[in-house]
Amino acid sequence: MDYDALVVGSGIGGMETAIKLGDMGYRVLVVEKEPSVGGRMVLLSKVFPTLDCASCIATPKMAATVHHPNVTVVTDSEVTAVARTGDGGFRVRVHTRPRYVDPAACTGCRKCEEACTVAVPDEWNGEMVSRRAAYIAYPQAIPQKALIERPGTSPCTDACPAGIKAHGYVSLVRSGRYEEAFRLILDATPLVGTLGAACYAPCESACTRGELEGPVAIRRLKRFVAERHYAGPDGPGVTPPVPNGKRVAVVGSGPAGLTAAWQLARAGYAVHVFEAGPDAGGFLRQAIPAYRLPAEVLDRDLANLAAVGVTISTDSPVGDPAALRADGYDAVLVATGTPRSRRLGIPGEERAGVATGLAFLRDVRAGRAPDLAGRHVVVVGGGNVAVDAARTAARLGAREVTVAYRRSRGEMPAHPAEVDDALAEGVRILFQVAPVDVTGQEGSAGTAGLRCSRMALGEPDGSGRLIPIPVEGSEFDIPCDLVIAAVGLAPADELAASLPVHPDGTAAVDPRTLQGPQGWLFVAGDAVTGPSDIAHAVGQGRRAAHAIDCWLQGREPDAFAPLDDRLPAVDRTSVLARQRTYAARPRQLPPAALRDEPRDFSRVEPSIGEQEAREAAGRCLDCGVCSECGECLAACPADAIDLAMRGEDRSLDVGAVVVATGYRLFPADLKPQYGYGRFPNVITAMQMERLLAPTRPYTSVLRPSDGRIPLRVAYVMCTGSRDESVGNPLCSKFCCMYSLKQNELLMGVLRFAELTVHYIDIRAVGKGYDEFFEQAKGMGVTFVKGRVAAIRETPEGNLVLRYEDVDRGVVGEADYDLVVLAVGVLPNHDLDRLLSEAGIAFDDFAYIAEADEDYSPAATTIPGIFVAGAVSGPRDIPESIVHAGAAALQVAAHLERRSVPA
Amino acid sequence: MIRDVREVIREEPLMRDRLLALLAGGPLTVRELAAAAGLPASEVMVWVMGMRKYGYVAEEKGPGRIPEYRYAVVRRS
Repeated sequence: MDYDALVVGSGIGGMETAIKLGDMGYRVLVVEKEPSVGGRMVLLSKVFPTLDCASCIATPKMAATVHHPNVTVVTDSEVTAVARTGDGGFRVRVHTRPRYVDPAACTGCRKCEEACTVAVPDEWNGEMVSRRAAYIAYPQAIPQKALIERPGTSPCTDACPAGIKAHGYVSLVRSGRYEEAFRLILDATPLVGTLGAACYAPCESACTRGELEGPVAIRRLKRFVAERHYAGPDGPGVTPPVPNGKRVAVVGSGPAGLTAAWQLARAGYAVHVFEAGPDAGGFLRQAIPAYRLPAEVLDRDLANLAAVGVTISTDSPVGDPAALRADGYDAVLVATGTPRSRRLGIPGEERAGVATGLAFLRDVRAGRAPDLAGRHVVVVGGGNVAVDAARTAARLGAREVTVAYRRSRGEMPAHPAEVDDALAEGVRILFQVAPVDVTGQEGSAGTAGLRCSRMALGEPDGSGRLIPIPVEGSEFDIPCDLVIAAVGLAPADELAASLPVHPDGTAAVDPRTLQGPQGWLFVAGDAVTGPSDIAHAVGQGRRAAHAIDCWLQGREPDAFAPLDDRLPAVDRTSVLARQRTYAARPRQLPPAALRDEPRDFSRVEPSIGEQEAREAAGRCLDCGVCSECGECLAACPADAIDLAMRGEDRSLDVGAVVVATGYRLFPADLKPQYGYGRFPNVITAMQMERLLAPTRPYTSVLRPSDGRIPLRVAYVMCTGSRDESVGNPLCSKFCCMYSLKQNELLMGVLRFAELTVHYIDIRAVGKGYDEFFEQAKGMGVTFVKGRVAAIRETPEGNLVLRYEDVDRGVVGEADYDLVVLAVGVLPNHDLDRLLSEAGIAFDDFAYIAEADEDYSPAATTIPGIFVAGAVSGPRDIPESIVHAGAAALQVAAHLERRSVPA
Repeated sequence: MIRDVREVIREEPLMRDRLLALLAGGPLTVRELAAAAGLPASEVMVWVMGMRKYGYVAEEKGPGRIPEYRYAVVRRS
């Protein structure tokens, strides 16, 4: 048996039971779902009727629990299974969530919290103030160690094939930390400006805000931080690497090759990039039109590589990677992309008026643009190259540009935004049209037109897209001067000479390590994946660099964490469910300047300014809570942050189980007539507890609406208890007493305030309780017997209570600055499913039933499972402690009975 | 109608510099700050209390029998 007893919950009942059992010599495991032991008591201001400091009583108990030699405490943990074993004990399963902070290293200095860029409601302060995603629950929390709220990866970050932490840089921009945002992206790739200009932004497609008014403009934020950084004199701000004596050759200077070179150079490798063309950049330079990616943006990104010592040789084609190996390079990475255009495979393709999309775009970028003034250009294909070629042709003065695509719009591989932009620029797209023949005039080698066929769509193919089928007799001619074939790209033929390739020509390498059979040869980018996009290629480059580093350092190639070891993405529905309402925040950025018949290659999308950027970033919903911005990592002086931590499940055998999960507070918004959640100055008594506590969220007891000191305060008793209308007929037992306590404390804090309690009857049963009530009356608190019907708000934020006064027999209205709802308590359902499966009984009010409350307290209907504290009914602190003592004795008796031979 | 508290609090990093800039001219009450920023006082209250918690501002007690707190910028190292 691992432990004699499992105690679930570490409020006052759980702690007391655990300590008592520990004192008796039993080994106890306490499982607490929150990051600290202590439950609610430690958050209270004082206790009644003695008005002793709640923290002063609770914190020694918390310390005694955690440090007891016979008690083991696991926080951030939940019991996920309970099953009876044959010996009268139980096998339980405990899941522990990761804190992402090494508790042994954390000193509790809160530097991570100060640096964190994500603000969320502080549940430990009644959500009246913020905390951070990285935080320590409250000043008295035990353990006094930080944790990071991180339920999963934000969808934007999860969607990035480059492994760039999109949520991270969005949250940094929101906080005004632009340089940190730039560095976060730069940590992944040197192509910050390039991605900001020309990435297809899968992050935005995944953005949860897209379910509301439209996604956060994540790519434009990247462009903003790149432009802001590049406008200054600073280089990349990367510490020069310490050379490790090894050399790596990179063949190809597209996004995969450049990214790999960047990562390897920063790891200390001497990196030499060989580019076949006259300028570095590969496809970025040759194939992406300048209106999307100006050359100067790429040049600025390339300067990052020079800053870390990467050498780039242009006009340097590499025929055989083995020659580089022979020249002394320790490893060679081939990242030559897909430079080969696929053919149309139709008659007439050899005519003079036919070009490939890639050759056409290359010629334009190299200053060899054909004169298309007054011409009709037909582009065949539906990918990004086809759309780029069409929009480029329009800029070269073509009279008419037509795209012929054999499937429907929904199946077009080109990015939808690019297609929209092409249409806005006057490009005509014919869907379900395929070429049959390039026609020419008799005796001429030139092109006169393109004969096409209409296509019907059949069953889905292997990719899920519908197979186009020619419609018999549907052929028609499109007269044109130039046909641009953009029907697909393939890797260079030379690749097959170095290593095995797939039928489509892509390299057959290990998809995780990108390593070829030679060991020293690696392949990355489109040469492996086939035609993709910049972000995918960047991801490939990062993966290759990691694999090369592992191989050259003699390490087993492990998972590449930024892509292979991300937490699962948080569910967008659950993100949206975190708020009851959303205020409309439409995307308000200057749109792309699209016009019919564009005639130049200037950028169509304008830059955004600082204010626009911060406002745009302010639309982020912080889906994953932690944004992975990395500021905590930089701030922590103890290197305690560990985002690689993962949850842990353990199966344990225990002799007995004590359920001490307490109660939950009645949600005050279920009484809508009281205005909680709609009127700022209507708060709950638990919120008032926090305002009265020494570690209060406000400067003092202040109005949430405007920060003024309230002068007229009302309490509405029995909010959500003794109330059939909300399904809770039970008296919550301690609301009267905590309200009296708060009123007495308020008399001290708000010396000039008028305090009124609207009550049904005051239940002050217990030693000194009635005297406490009399004391409150004597201090000047006014008591009005009768229910409150409704609360309305005045334009000044004051609150008008409509109430009955039973003693005077009238219905009246009174004006208050602040109203406190004395909310009742409800059963805690945390373990209901597990306990139901175990066969436990619940009482008529859904609390766990005690088998015999009067003569065998704390015993449930299942031998070996016990309850302690308010989990079986409303109990105040002294009653919970007594009940916990009973639970401890019941557990001891159960354990001793088990040890007696039958 | 007040906005969801999570939405308001999420904007604290966005609003911080704007509010600090307004406080650079001298301490202001929540109501004065809200009026200067043209923002709801209940939301400014949330942001100012968050800024107070994390050491960006500190309170000064105003004059009078029932003082209204003013908030001043705390110089951070």
